[in-house]
Amino acid sequence: MSAAHQLAPEAIASQFRTLFDASAWSAVAPLAALSAGVVLCLITDLSRALAALRGPLVFAALAACAWFQVQLLLHPVGVVLRDSLHGDATSAAFGLLFVAGGLLAWLASHGYYKRDGQAPLAEHDALLLSAVAGMTLMSAANDLLVFFIGLELLSLPLYALSALRRSRAASVEAGLKYFLLGAFTSALFLFGCALIYCATGSIGLDTLRVLAAPGSLPMGELALLGSALIAASLLFKLNVFPFHVWVPDVYQGSPTPVTALMATGTKAAAFAFLLRASFLLPASASTTLALLALITLAIGNLGALVQEDFKRMLAYSGIAHAGTLLLAVAGALGGDPVANGATRAIVFYLAAYVFSAGGAFAVLAALEAGGERFTKLENLRGLWQRKPIAALALALFMLSLGGIPGAGGFWGKWFVFEVLVRADMTGWAIAGVLMSVLALAYYLRVIIALFMQPTPAGIVAPRFERPASLGASLVLCVGAVLLTGLLPGMLLGLLG
Amino acid sequence: MNVPHAHLLALAAVLFGLGCLGFLLRRNAIIVLASIELMLNAANLAFLTGSRMHSSAAQPSLEGPIFALFVILIAAAEAAVGLALVIALYRLKRTAELDSSSELRG
Repeated sequence: MSAAHQLAPEAIASQFRTLFDASAWSAVAPLAALSAGVVLCLITDLSRALAALRGPLVFAALAACAWFQVQLLLHPVGVVLRDSLHGDATSAAFGLLFVAGGLLAWLASHGYYKRDGQAPLAEHDALLLSAVAGMTLMSAANDLLVFFIGLELLSLPLYALSALRRSRAASVEAGLKYFLLGAFTSALFLFGCALIYCATGSIGLDTLRVLAAPGSLPMGELALLGSALIAASLLFKLNVFPFHVWVPDVYQGSPTPVTALMATGTKAAAFAFLLRASFLLPASASTTLALLALITLAIGNLGALVQEDFKRMLAYSGIAHAGTLLLAVAGALGGDPVANGATRAIVFYLAAYVFSAGGAFAVLAALEAGGERFTKLENLRGLWQRKPIAALALALFMLSLGGIPGAGGFWGKWFVFEVLVRADMTGWAIAGVLMSVLALAYYLRVIIALFMQPTPAGIVAPRFERPASLGASLVLCVGAVLLTGLLPGMLLGLLG
Repeated sequence: MNVPHAHLLALAAVLFGLGCLGFLLRRNAIIVLASIELMLNAANLAFLTGSRMHSSAAQPSLEGPIFALFVILIAAAEAAVGLALVIALYRLKRTAELDSSSELRG
């Protein structure tokens, strides 16, 4: 090795100090809090005395992460660690959504596994926290390698979590299906990265953005092929047509708290990176993306209309929401998504979606654990008489998902269509609005079942296993849905 | 030895294609897992080729080899999770054929 490559220990130490300056620490702090939570969580499994500490520990890790993200939201530090990690308002806002998704999934898991005769596992909580850490890393990544590590940090725990009820064939099958398709798309992503690296010699998004800018030298077919592979793998994570087929099966087979995390967190994380890396796609891809988005919307809505199972209906509704969000991405192509408002619109939409869908999954998980083992839609009939508060909250979440004014979902849709109109894609926006009207049909169907239909014979009032956990989730979700619905300016102000 | 870059990339593409075909056509879970490993290794080969394309004596391009190291690490973790899932399936069904699992239908 030549002398130039040899470094004295002092030189390494000083390099380390310049790399990890104060701003780098504040960008890394949320991840550090979650990682510490993962390690400590596994340690609590060593003895029975420590096991009681696990609940407060998970909560403390999530709360610390949220606190650091709020600090970052108020005092953004920009790009740190040799241009590999973002510490800006966008990544902090996404990070807060992931903490909320993780918290809702964790609260919903209380008492959920009791019926299987399975004690609450330390692995469950550790995997959950590391999935949240993976999402946080994905949304903050400014480098293909960092994003890939985040993606795997999210995916590997989710594969294990979705097969957690391993005595149930449906759960194991969901896990295996999710794993095989997820690993396949990871391989697509990696080969795409390799092609881009071969074409440009770089994996940093900042360098690639300069190379891809109009006016500079064209990146060549190799890089375009790489971008297409990366886009395909992201569309898989977003459940977009034609990569949506696995979604209903995996969502239905997985334990409901895990489904909640998959539906809310994974989608948000993949959208965060798609926005950051949208410059890799040429502006001419906008029509293709919008077309895919519209097909996704149609499949999601039509699929949800015919479902008799509430969990599957929520899965299809999630596909439809991904379609709406992809419309916003299509509208933002060819420009800076932060500048043209697409990032703001998508963060807002996701904030409303995380709390509406997360709340609906929380109610579903509590009903399942409380004795209504089946997730069939007909079991929701007459819930108003049996559990009025849960029924009212569920109705609010359905209205928000359907985009009724007064709930957060309405403004999310409004901002997304605003982006489209500004991008001269009014036709697509109108098609999207029509699709949203179609979606109302199945959300109203749930509300009618809740309030207007009699309880079917043989269904007894559920006894909630952990009413405090459910109550906390409902307060959080109802509060957030109403806050985003009635005072949308507050959240927008925070996003800058 | 001086193999042209284009040949190396072509080899990587062929390996990747074979992995893809294996994933799409074979129904045994173990073979499907092996196909995914093949795709990951094709990506590694492409990363190392890229590093050779962009390195000079004065300034080596290290992103590629480092990416490949991370891929090896993560592929091992992925194989561990994947095999655990296959074993869980085998315990329930006494087979590793993927078509046997059809509890859930689209």
